[in-house]
Amino acid sequence: MSQLVRFIWTLLALHLALGIIAYAHFLVTGQYTVLGWYFETLGSLFFLVMTATECCLAIICRSWFDSDEPMRLAWGMIACAALARLSGVLLRAVSDGHLPWGYWHRISLPSGGLFESLSQLGMVVGGPLSMAFLAFGLGRVLGIQRKFRLLGALTRVDQALLFLVVAFSISQLAINLPLLGRHPSLGTMLLWLSDPLLSLLLIEAILVRRSVIRMGQGLVAKCWGMFVLAIVITSVGDAAIWASNHNLLSVSMTALSWYIWFIAAAAFTSAPAYQLAAISLTREGSMRLPAKR
Amino acid sequence: MNLLGRWHPRFWRRELPTVPDRGTCFEAAQASGLNDLQTRLNRWSSLWTLENESATSTQAQQLVAERLAHCMESCFGQHLHSSLLGKGIQISLASSTPIFTAFLGRRATRELARRVLQDI
Repeated sequence: MSQLVRFIWTLLALHLALGIIAYAHFLVTGQYTVLGWYFETLGSLFFLVMTATECCLAIICRSWFDSDEPMRLAWGMIACAALARLSGVLLRAVSDGHLPWGYWHRISLPSGGLFESLSQLGMVVGGPLSMAFLAFGLGRVLGIQRKFRLLGALTRVDQALLFLVVAFSISQLAINLPLLGRHPSLGTMLLWLSDPLLSLLLIEAILVRRSVIRMGQGLVAKCWGMFVLAIVITSVGDAAIWASNHNLLSVSMTALSWYIWFIAAAAFTSAPAYQLAAISLTREGSMRLPAKR
Repeated sequence: MNLLGRWHPRFWRRELPTVPDRGTCFEAAQASGLNDLQTRLNRWSSLWTLENESATSTQAQQLVAERLAHCMESCFGQHLHSSLLGKGIQISLASSTPIFTAFLGRRATRELARRVLQDI
């Protein structure tokens, strides 16, 4: 495992350890004070650090490809997706007045605009916009994998999962489309795209996973495997939100499901870190044989 | 690992510095130099295609081939080679370059090829 990836997961482990303490306090006392502080301060800081790191690493990965190479555009799109997530986190933090360094002044958008609030703008930028960039980038990667005949056939489990995901997206659209008559804001309509885009990402993730299995356990395979992991965790988090909104989860389980997003953020950041580790392997002084020689 | 090194201002220059023209002079190459060059080119081409590798390969060539295989395995995994080429076929520069270039970029592939060339 590369040093940077190890650092990312160590940071996540430390962060989750603190989170467990906050969760234990919530379970014992039933109060949200410590848990709220943990998510608003440490949680926001963690997301900012992870998304900023992911964005920087993806930009460095992009710079290693020439302008006529297809992976340059793929990494450019991934960098845009990370930048959109970072902007989304910042916009929501500014809107809620919960900046990690203690800036408590609330900023709000003028009423009657395209977006209901700055927080909604943050959700659109960090949600559907980021997903669209990532879907485009992964589409390019799938094209390259197809060129090398690395794409494997879908199994029955894959097909069943795809059917479920598509059915869920269609059902959500069927619920949302009649609401168009109420003239919702542009932000609300853009947020409806989250589920279809997440379904598209999941389909791409399944196809990438098939090729990753064919590759093995190399650094490049791990890079794309991390994207798959991040997308699957995001889908689980999305499902948890849906279940919570429909009162299918208890209060304690709902609070526990919030931790999922930290793991997704760490997985997203690990992906470009693995790519950089693979690039550094080809550079002078790093192409070493195993120690047994 | 100096991944940020390529952003050094000296890489931004579009034109490479040139040596002042002092008139081109060709001198007869020595026979030993030509032989050495021919040997290196033969080694390079055998590494490129891995033709007759079992009959003529030296220990150094085998080491280079092993390094290439190890690098490919570290980057792409143990199954990729067989899924791309079929089992039993040895790795060569010609077979590994396209996938290295696609996923790691032309610059990283050049670095790798340079390392391999240094070793032969």
